[in-house]
Amino acid sequence: MFESGLNGQITLTLDVAEREVLGQLFDQVEHLLDELTSQDSSDPLELMLGMNGSTQISQDPALARLFPDGYSEDEHASADFRRFTEQDLRQQKIAALNDVRKGLQATANPAAVTALEAQSWLKALNDLRLVLGTRLEISDDDDFDFDGDEPGMHLYNYLTYLQGTLIDALN
Amino acid sequence: MSALPIEDIQVNVLTDVPWITLVWNDPINLMTYVTYVFQTYFGYDKPKAESLMLDVHEKGRAVVSTGSREEMERDVAAMHSYGLWATLQKDL
Repeated sequence: MFESGLNGQITLTLDVAEREVLGQLFDQVEHLLDELTSQDSSDPLELMLGMNGSTQISQDPALARLFPDGYSEDEHASADFRRFTEQDLRQQKIAALNDVRKGLQATANPAAVTALEAQSWLKALNDLRLVLGTRLEISDDDDFDFDGDEPGMHLYNYLTYLQGTLIDALN
Repeated sequence: MSALPIEDIQVNVLTDVPWITLVWNDPINLMTYVTYVFQTYFGYDKPKAESLMLDVHEKGRAVVSTGSREEMERDVAAMHSYGLWATLQKDL
């Protein structure tokens, strides 16, 4: 869990099992990000500027959730927006994943978490919850069974708890 | 605040069609997280951030920022980086 000390220093305490599970889950998110297709471009300038994002939302619901359309009622503008922003967004997500996986290697327990690392944890944990939650088809419906015995639901609830402690620590 | 000459105001009305950033409700993002993002990225105070978050939650969506198309594209990209479901459109 994340905690904030009297001096505002955020620390993270994780047992061995938590580190292992989180490491595996973050790896899976990275595999998913690898599946995001980019548009073939022969223009080196476009490649250099990261303007080779795809032009259509992914068929995979989890990728579609991580990389939603930028315009709700304008396909053409959405395609352009995606082409210009998607690869950059993907790089940001990978950078956050790399940060938190480095944090999982920390030998100190609890480990000190810098303000920048805390932001990476916040985004990487949220992406992970979005992916898992989409796979579990989490919904707002009143009849949705949040206490299901499915192992994925236990993980989801754990991630929700962990993210909650981070938001409390940041506030 | 200084007053603009009349002709400048008219030009502004014609060229600055406002655009808006909408954040849409989703069942996964935590209410506390959405509030934190609104405070951190937009610099809104807690009451404003919470009221926008509740609008998203209860009405299905909320206008979180207004400005030029370029500014709104920047805000939408930032919301996507936080995992919020956001879109931009012309303010109708």
